[in-house]
Amino acid sequence: MVEPRICVGVVAGAHGVRGLVRVKSFTEEPRDVAAYGTLFDKAGNRQFNLQVTGSAKGVLLAKLDGVATREAAEALRGVEFYVSRDALPQTEEDEFYHSDLIGLRAELADGKPYGTIRALHEFGAGDMIEILLEGGGVSVLPFTRVIVPTVDIAAGKVIVEPPVETDAREDRKDEEIS
Amino acid sequence: MARSVWKGPFVDGYLLKKAETVRSSGRNDIIRTWSRRSTVLPQFVGLTFGVYNGQKFIPVLVTENMIGHKFGEFSPTRTFYGHAADKRARRG
Repeated sequence: MVEPRICVGVVAGAHGVRGLVRVKSFTEEPRDVAAYGTLFDKAGNRQFNLQVTGSAKGVLLAKLDGVATREAAEALRGVEFYVSRDALPQTEEDEFYHSDLIGLRAELADGKPYGTIRALHEFGAGDMIEILLEGGGVSVLPFTRVIVPTVDIAAGKVIVEPPVETDAREDRKDEEIS
Repeated sequence: MARSVWKGPFVDGYLLKKAETVRSSGRNDIIRTWSRRSTVLPQFVGLTFGVYNGQKFIPVLVTENMIGHKFGEFSPTRTFYGHAADKRARRG
């Protein structure tokens, strides 16, 4: 079985003439791109040791072992950096990596398929999961114990209990009719 | 220019009424609303609203530190699907 790997950054280009690369980091804390040990390319053939030296205009400036010239750095443009899933630290209870949850099947409590998790969001009002529904369309649910009582990553599924939704305007419509 | 204080916070009347109905029913229904302009009031704390962003209803569980903000602030209309990388979600 192929070991799961996670993309943590990509080379955006070269910086200066001494082989520094500009790295776009995808990690929550940008400098953590170098915190998970050896990085690999997408195919897993090449290894990189990354040292972050600074930041500029939304990207990190970094030094890679064996890259000493601008030409060598420029040649790496577009290379994505991957780490092994096992390199990520353990999560606390009720805390999950997005990468573990995305793609899991969502089922109702009675076992009926509900959809597939497409993304997780946090807009300032708690975490929420976006589910691509079986019959088409999208549902966004709060990521709470009440609505998502079971998360079984090993079995590749979550159990959801979608809440009842009421329209705030339905009472107003009744008033207008009467 | 900021809204005059003497007017008090703006909130659509039907939303306030619906929130009171849901609260008195004791259920945890999601109140779907299009009223992104309404201010979050103290009586909304603990309720969950589905705030429309033009495509879908984004669930907003109201907490104390959200009071005074508008519902639309918690339901962005442009969504960026970035890389998951090491991002974590906490089940509340």
